Amino acid sequence: MRRVLLTLSRVAFLLWQALPVPAADGGQTYAWNLPKGFPKPYVPADNPMTAAKVELGRYLFYDTRMSVNGKASCATCHKQELAFTDGRAVGIGATGEAHSRSAMSLVNVAYSATLTWSNPKMRLLEDQAIVPMFGDHPVELGLREGDGFLPMLRSDPKYRQLFATAFPAEKDPTTITNVTKALACFERSIISARSPYDRYHYGGDDSAVSESAKRGEILIFSQQISCFRCHGGFNFSDATISESNPGREVEFHNTGLYNLSGPFSYPPPNLGVYEFTKSGADMGKFKAPTLRNIAVTAPYMHDGSISTIEGVLDHYAAGGRTIDSGVNAGIGHDNPNKDRLIGGFQLSARDRADLIAFLRSLTDEAVLRDTRFANPW
Amino acid sequence: MNRRTAIGILTAFGLFAAFGLAQSESPAPQILTVSGDVPSPLQLKADDLAKMPRETVSVQEEDGTKVQYEGVPLREVLARAGAPLGKELRGRALASYVLAKAHDGYQVVFGLAEMDASFANESILVADKRDGKPLFGYQGPFRLVCPNDKAGARSVRMLETLEIVRLRK
Repeated sequence: MRRVLLTLSRVAFLLWQALPVPAADGGQTYAWNLPKGFPKPYVPADNPMTAAKVELGRYLFYDTRMSVNGKASCATCHKQELAFTDGRAVGIGATGEAHSRSAMSLVNVAYSATLTWSNPKMRLLEDQAIVPMFGDHPVELGLREGDGFLPMLRSDPKYRQLFATAFPAEKDPTTITNVTKALACFERSIISARSPYDRYHYGGDDSAVSESAKRGEILIFSQQISCFRCHGGFNFSDATISESNPGREVEFHNTGLYNLSGPFSYPPPNLGVYEFTKSGADMGKFKAPTLRNIAVTAPYMHDGSISTIEGVLDHYAAGGRTIDSGVNAGIGHDNPNKDRLIGGFQLSARDRADLIAFLRSLTDEAVLRDTRFANPW
Repeated sequence: MNRRTAIGILTAFGLFAAFGLAQSESPAPQILTVSGDVPSPLQLKADDLAKMPRETVSVQEEDGTKVQYEGVPLREVLARAGAPLGKELRGRALASYVLAKAHDGYQVVFGLAEMDASFANESILVADKRDGKPLFGYQGPFRLVCPNDKAGARSVRMLETLEIVRLRK
């Protein structure tokens, strides 16, 4: 009987995986199809999810005409096969200008309490989208007010149809505000919940992950390693919110990645929350990103300065990174702002292998290939 | 001794101290031990808990996830071991507490009066099921659930031992 029940649960899980988001009601509704254990994401009241807005957002997300020179789109720094990161230490904009920080994954961004690495005030994707579109420092997409972007959208038959369907009540729906709303809806739709870990933890499939990964999960949540204190919950991030708890206070963390002498213990311009509050106590504090799909989102940390998962484990095991020479030399372990939870720990070779096996079990191959999130052009 | 050497020694000591705690990569045992200053120490398995009075509590986690835990009220477990509760919880007995220990060495404390019906009457649960399924992995097979605690830190996962301590006899 247990085996039958197990098989039925697996079939149910596979069926859930295969379900498309139905475009009922002319695309004016949206079904999340969330699995057990995943709460409904928070969505701002003035931009409810609809299938039509998600679809418009997907076209915009992959459209290189949304850049100053036609060379970049959102997808340039957020590639689906890399869990919507770009594989670079720092992002490169349309004009070749380098960003100072690493492109964050957009997977499960619907659950992010704050956006970007360290801006405590940036809470809505609709607001965040403006930054890469029109920002100067650095130039990402390089759009300018009054350039040909909106006229291009209005002249394109596909976009005329997409905007009209997404915003049926508006006489002229082709606006920057609606562009950001559609992009936000598309980004919120990118939910990762089909990893081997999910099949094991939520789907009841005991064989979905290795025994090593199971030991790794226990380690992650153990008192000794304590990764869960910043990377806990279903989304493995303490900056996670949902519909029923949208106002969660977010903690940012200085992990002892640097400890420079001089006025700033972290290398400018990446000073963490300090950039926004100018409070010394916020120096070097960044958001704990989700661990989901971490195996495909290298390099790591806010500035991409650690190239491998093994290197990240070394950093935390030492309770902070020591850089022996160069402009960033310093003992991160001693950073005065370091989070008290970053105390260091010892890993045996088996512990290390178990942790990595667990982290790899969080890779959701389905979300990396899901046609709903792929380039429609 | 230069500063870096000193730091290295201190760090090594810290690592040794951390390593000296219970290692926790293995699953917790399938037995919950109730021990300490009680007349009837217990070794409880899931089958034993299944036969005891059971309750279900709903908890919303910080990320908004809503889950249901099912298990036996902590006061029932302690009463079965003979801990001073009810009419016996007075005078010196009020200086008694429960030390809850996890498989990884984590420990928290509850005063007996916290869960007694005549005092705070908290619905602290020794849970063995989450959303209808037996607890496993880093959660189980047993854990505490403290639905009225604002922080989750006393909701001990991988609960291994409940030790009753009487400070005054």
